[in-house]
Amino acid sequence: MSTIIQDNQQTFSVKFLQFYKDRTLLAILLSLFAVMFVYGIFFTENYLTITNFKAIIRDAALYGIMAIGLTFVTLSGNFFLLSLKETASICGVTFAMGMATGFGSPDLAGNFLVSLLAALAVGIVSGVIQGYFVGMGGNPIVVTLGGAGILYGIGAWWSDNLVINFTRPHDAEWLGTGSFLGLPSITWSFILIAIAAEIVLRHTNFGRKVYLVGANKAAGKATGHENFSMAIIVFTICSVCCAFVAVAFVAQMDSAQSNYFSAEFGSSGDMTILVIATVMVGGNSIMGGYGSTLRTSLGAIFIAMVDNMMVLQGFNSGPRIVGVGLMIVFSIIVFGLFAKGSRAQE
Amino acid sequence: MENFVKKLTKDVDLSFAILLSFCVYVFFALNIEVFFSHNISFAILERFAVLGLVGLALTICIIAGEIDLSIGSNAALCAVIVVKLTDPLGAPLAIIIGLSVSTLIGATQGFVIAFIRIRAIVITVGTLMLLRGVALLIAEEKTVMLTDFRVPDFITTKFFMYFSPASITVIFIFILVGIFMRYTKYGREIYAIGGARKEALTAGIPLRRPMIIAFALSGFCAGFAGTVIGLKSGTAQGLGLQYLLLAGTVAAFVGGVSILGGKGGVLGAAIGALTVNFLNTGLVFYALQVHFVQLFTSVLLVIVIVFQTMSRVFDSRQSRKSLLATIDERKIALLEKKKSSKFGK
Repeated sequence: MSTIIQDNQQTFSVKFLQFYKDRTLLAILLSLFAVMFVYGIFFTENYLTITNFKAIIRDAALYGIMAIGLTFVTLSGNFFLLSLKETASICGVTFAMGMATGFGSPDLAGNFLVSLLAALAVGIVSGVIQGYFVGMGGNPIVVTLGGAGILYGIGAWWSDNLVINFTRPHDAEWLGTGSFLGLPSITWSFILIAIAAEIVLRHTNFGRKVYLVGANKAAGKATGHENFSMAIIVFTICSVCCAFVAVAFVAQMDSAQSNYFSAEFGSSGDMTILVIATVMVGGNSIMGGYGSTLRTSLGAIFIAMVDNMMVLQGFNSGPRIVGVGLMIVFSIIVFGLFAKGSRAQE
Repeated sequence: MENFVKKLTKDVDLSFAILLSFCVYVFFALNIEVFFSHNISFAILERFAVLGLVGLALTICIIAGEIDLSIGSNAALCAVIVVKLTDPLGAPLAIIIGLSVSTLIGATQGFVIAFIRIRAIVITVGTLMLLRGVALLIAEEKTVMLTDFRVPDFITTKFFMYFSPASITVIFIFILVGIFMRYTKYGREIYAIGGARKEALTAGIPLRRPMIIAFALSGFCAGFAGTVIGLKSGTAQGLGLQYLLLAGTVAAFVGGVSILGGKGGVLGAAIGALTVNFLNTGLVFYALQVHFVQLFTSVLLVIVIVFQTMSRVFDSRQSRKSLLATIDERKIALLEKKKSSKFGK
C-alpha cells in the first residue's frame, strides 16, 4: 500500500528522469538530434528569416493537407493508403482536362467550378470504392496497393501519358499562385483545413466516433459504430484532401501529367511515403485511436524545416532523402519505445 | 497424388491460384501463336528468377503476419552495390557483399520489429525511404554502370533449353526455403507467430528469432532479385525497382497467402509468381505502354483480394450457420427428451 502511494507521489520530473535513466541510448540520441537541430537553426544562413519561414510553411502545406486527410484514416485504425499520389495524379489530370477542354464541351472549358467539382468527384469515387473494400474486411495496405496501380493506369490511359496544358490567364490562378494578406492561398488553405479538422475531431460526434473505432474495433462494433461505414467515410475524406492538393498543385503549374506526384516529387522522393512519414513523425499511433491532426500539422512543418535546412546547406537529393528517412525511422523507434508497455504494442 | 488432391480441396486459395494461373496461361496461349514455345518458356523462367524471388520474400513476411514494404528499396540498394563493386572487386565478391548487406538490413528490421514490438508496416515505410536515400548516396545520384558488359554474361547463358544460372539458382533457393519452412523448427515458428501470435508467445516461442529469420530471408531474396536485375542490365539506379513491391504483392496474394498470417507456402508463391509472369510476358506481345501492365497487374490483385474476402466471409457465415444448426439440433433433442419424459410420466 505504501509503495503505491509513493509511486503516485512521484513528480513528473522524477518519472521523466527515471525514464531516461532506463533508456540511456535513447536519451543520447534525442539530445544529439536536438543539438544538431539547434545548431542548424543558428548556423544556416538565411534560415531565420520571415521569407524563409513562409517558404517552409508553403512547402509543408502541400503534403500537410494530404497528411491531415490521412490522419483520419490512421486514427480510425485503418493504417494508411498507399494510393495517395495516384489519387492526386488522377484528380490533377481530371482538373487539367476540365480547364483545358471542358470534358469535350467547349462551353465548359476553363470553368473553374466544374473542373474542381469533377476532380473532387473523382476523389470521392476512388475513396468510396477503396473504403468499401477495406470495410468489407480487406487489408488497407493491399487494397490501396492494388487501387494505386488501377488509379495510375486509368489516369495515364486517359491523359495518354501526355502533359495537359492550359494557358495562363485562367480562373484558378488565385488558388495556384495568388496570395492573400501576404500569405499564399495554399498556406491559407492548409491553416483553415488544419483548424477545421481539429474542430471536427475534437468537438463533433463524428470525431469521437473516429477515435472510438480506432481505439477498439470490437467495442465500436458492440456500440453500433462499425468499421464499414467509418472506413468509407475516412477514405473519402483522405481522397478529397488528395484531390484538393492536386487541384492546387495543377493550378500552380498550369499543367498536369499522371507522373506529377511520382518518384522525384519535391525533394524527398515519393509523395505517398512523404505523407505517411508526416503522419508518423507527428507521433500519431499507427494502430489508431491516439493522435491528432495538430500533431500531423506540426510533423509536416518539422519535416519541411529539416528539409529546408538541408537545402540551404547545399546538400544533394541523396543526403536529403537519407536525412528525412533517418528522421522517420528515428521517430518511429522513439515513439515505439515510449509506447512500449502500453496498449499500442499489440 | 491422393494427398495432393486432398490438399487442394482443403486449401481453396491454392486451388484458386492454380486455376487462375492456368486460365491466364491458356488465354495467352490461345491468342498468341508463339506463346507456347521453348523460347517463351525460357523468357518466362528468366522473369521468374526476379519476380519469384520478390514474391517469395513477401510470402515469408506475410506468413509471419507482417508485410515488408521496403523490398523495392532493398533490391535497388543491393543492385547499386553489386554493380558498383563488380568493376574493382570482380562479380563473385561483389555479389557476396551485396547479398550480405541486404540480409543484414532485413535482419536488423526484424530485430527492431521484435524488440520494440511495432508493426512491420510502420518501420518498413521508414526504411523504404531511408534505403532509397542510401542507394542514391552510394550511386552518387547517377545511374551506376558496368564498364565491361561481358562480365555478367555468365548469368544469361542458356542450357537445357529452358534454364540459365540465375533461374536454376532461384529454383534451388525455392526448394531450400520450402524445406526450411516446412520441415525445420525455425520455419514452423514463423508459421506459428503468423497464425496465432498470442498463443505462440504463450506457448514459449520467442518472438525475436522467427521475426529476424523471416525478415533476413526476405532481405536476402530482395537483394538477390536486385542483383540479378542489376547484373543483367549492367546498370542500377538508386530510385529504381519500386515496381517490385506491387508485382511481389500480387505474386504472394495470387499464391494464396492470407493477410492474417500463418497461411500459404512456397509452392503458392511459385504459382503466384508464374501467374504474374504469364500476364507480363503475354502483355509484351500486345505492345502496350507500361501503365497498362501496372493496370492489369492491379486488376489481378483486386480479383484475388475480392475472392479471398468473399471466401473468408462465406467461411465465417458457414461456420456460424453450422454452429447455429448444432445448437438447434441440441435444443430440439433436449425438448424431445423432456417431452418423452413428460409423456413417460
